[in-house]
Amino acid sequence: MKDNKERQEETTQIIIFKLGEEEFGVNILQVREIEKLDQGITRVPRAPHFVEGIINLRGEIIPIVDLRARFGLTLPELGLNSRVIIVEVGEAQVGMLVDAVVEVLRVPVSAIESAPTITKGVDSYFLAGVVNIDERLIVLLNLERTLSPEEEKELSEVELGDEL
Amino acid sequence: MDVSQYLNVFMDECQEHLQSLNQSLLVLEQEPDNMEILNAIFRAAHTLKGASATMGFNKMSNVTHAMEDVLSLLRQNELEVSAELINVLFAALDLLEVLAQGITEGREEDVETTGVIQSLQKFVAKELKSEPGPKTEPGQKSERRQSLELRYLPLEIEQIKSAVADGSNLNHLHVHLQEDCLLKGARAFMILRELETHGDIVRTIPTAKELEDEQFEDDFIIGILSKKPLEFLTRFLEKMLDVQKVEGEVNDPEALLVERRGDGAQAVASDVDQQKTSHTKATSNVSPTVRVDIRKLDELMNLVGEIVITRSRLEQLSWEQEDQNMVETVEQLSRLTMDLRDQVLKTRMVPVDHVFSRFPRLVRDLAKETRKEIQLEISGAETELDRTVIDEIADPLVHIIRNSVDHGIETPEVRTAAGKTLPGTVELKAYQAGNSVVIEIFDDGAGIDTRKIKAKAIERGIVTSEDIDNMDDDDIMNLIFLPGLSTSEKVTDISGRGVGMDVVKTQITNLGGIVEMSSVEGEGTKFTIRLPLTLAIIQTLIVQLGNDVFAIPSTLIDQTISVDKQDIKRLRGREVTVYRGEVLPLVRLQEFLEVKEAKNADLDELDVVVISNGERRVGFIVDTLVRQQDVVIKSLGTYLGNIPGIAGATILGNGKIALILDLRSVA
Repeated sequence: MKDNKERQEETTQIIIFKLGEEEFGVNILQVREIEKLDQGITRVPRAPHFVEGIINLRGEIIPIVDLRARFGLTLPELGLNSRVIIVEVGEAQVGMLVDAVVEVLRVPVSAIESAPTITKGVDSYFLAGVVNIDERLIVLLNLERTLSPEEEKELSEVELGDEL
Repeated sequence: MDVSQYLNVFMDECQEHLQSLNQSLLVLEQEPDNMEILNAIFRAAHTLKGASATMGFNKMSNVTHAMEDVLSLLRQNELEVSAELINVLFAALDLLEVLAQGITEGREEDVETTGVIQSLQKFVAKELKSEPGPKTEPGQKSERRQSLELRYLPLEIEQIKSAVADGSNLNHLHVHLQEDCLLKGARAFMILRELETHGDIVRTIPTAKELEDEQFEDDFIIGILSKKPLEFLTRFLEKMLDVQKVEGEVNDPEALLVERRGDGAQAVASDVDQQKTSHTKATSNVSPTVRVDIRKLDELMNLVGEIVITRSRLEQLSWEQEDQNMVETVEQLSRLTMDLRDQVLKTRMVPVDHVFSRFPRLVRDLAKETRKEIQLEISGAETELDRTVIDEIADPLVHIIRNSVDHGIETPEVRTAAGKTLPGTVELKAYQAGNSVVIEIFDDGAGIDTRKIKAKAIERGIVTSEDIDNMDDDDIMNLIFLPGLSTSEKVTDISGRGVGMDVVKTQITNLGGIVEMSSVEGEGTKFTIRLPLTLAIIQTLIVQLGNDVFAIPSTLIDQTISVDKQDIKRLRGREVTVYRGEVLPLVRLQEFLEVKEAKNADLDELDVVVISNGERRVGFIVDTLVRQQDVVIKSLGTYLGNIPGIAGATILGNGKIALILDLRSVA
């Protein structure tokens, strides 16, 4: 009985944030911290277009990725609720610029489904899955793909190929 | 025995011993009769043998053991230093290096050692045949025995006399350890400690300190005052582990040899004497040191960097407060911070000798291989560089020196025919110039024929023939740093595969350095490498462009000039001005950095930072020059990786980030 119950409760924690009005999520284990953006972002010329720049996080240089630019979404400018979610991808630390951080949600692993081709305008290539819970649709990001600068090149090449 | 925790220490020591063996062997080759060097070689081999055996690296201990056998024959004058012998010893040394490499990679067992061991053993066997049984000759034993004669200071003799009057005997115990005894120093220490339970040890030969440091062969003598009979003492010792045999005698206190203070070294007989003096010579000018993991120094450097930054911030605040006491205290803190920074930087500095010391061997081997006569002259080996730079500079230097020997210096026949001196010379020179260290490699060889470079460059499609016509000799020379250009007519093992000079250039550029070459046909070639003293903190010029500030490393800056708008002309669509009588191409920094808010387009008087990349100069137009400032380089991290033109970032006193620009790629 007990075993059964535990299996039912196998859950994972997800940090939910907003880009525009849409809700996205990342696995809490990949998140190092969440910061208010109380300093300017220093632009880095010749960096990939979705890299907004770098910030000084207590003496460390952290690159900041604008997820809206990454997904090709056009959305309102940064506001009071804007946050930087510092995540760890491989050995690198990257800050993701988001419009608001909503909550930490515990979801059963069984509620995570694979993502359809395009969800809320985001290519499924960037997604780890979707969670459908209490009539909310939360899109889980595949951080490795979302933040990898190398993939960008390949992607644009693929797109180019499609257009031709 | 789990040795993994000692592995790093062992490897460090191993490298040091191999290095010193290399140097000493080179000297021995020149001075076969130099007993001091021979002793140094023997000691290094001996220590390596002991250490590797303790660590369980059997192959290394076997090789060093075979070396030791040969060396000990040399020491006893039973073997002559010959060219063949030196070559075999060098081969053994190379094998040890391979073994050391194998040990770090965990595959020591895969290394083939039998060949070298056999050629070493041949020398020992040869010797034994020509002079049967020199090792067991009785005369020699007694000679050794005599050399271990105990002598006492007058004060000690007084002590002995009163003890003898009290019923003790003065015993001289000659202890022989097993030849294969490991950690002899520790064993000797144990023996002395155990023995002390039965009496007072007055003196040992060698001294207790030397015994502990393992500076003895297999035997030593103890002078002990004891009330126990001699028989008891010898049997007591013989029962101890690793003791082969013990000879003992009771001595008459009236007949003791006296050692006067001061001339002790002369009083003690030759063998020990020599070991002692050469030992003190070797250690006398070495100050005590501590081994520290380089990563700890990196962390220390980072922390100091943070302090430097915080200090600037504090300075700014104290000025704003306008409190005199505060300002003074902060100034004091500033000075201390700077001293701290300098000291930490110094701890990271290593003499270039670390790299240079391997070159005599390299040049010797290359010269043999190419049948050339070459002498290597080294100067300024004491010049210091940051450890990280030292580690990275070795490869490019090796490459350049190989080139000098292979392509530069001519064969003896050619040199004689050209009326040049023999041997040919390769000069390696290091010196500090301001904030950089300069390393020059000069060879008085054939020099480089620019016509050959031209032909090759056109043939390989690196440049067009029109391009070549617009280039001066220096430009053409420096084409050799481009990928795919090698001017050697024949490809040799040593160099000349057309890979190399471009790699050399890349490696040096990555270190923030500059490499240039100049050559006069028939007279020689000179490479000049200019390196920053350290990679961690650099002096920069802070410039403003629009709303952003950027830091430009001072080492890259040739000069800053002010140019009147009127003096800017257009040449082939580019802005240029005349500077020191030459045409200076100009670049508006905002074009390169994609900064939109730059104001310099509206200014009449323009601030220009002239960047030199070797012989080439380009002026970068900025909005304003802000100030000179030392900054701590922070990498942009693996995520952003290498962005051309950007060397990293730094955090300024106000907490803001400034990008550090490496404009050479644009220049």
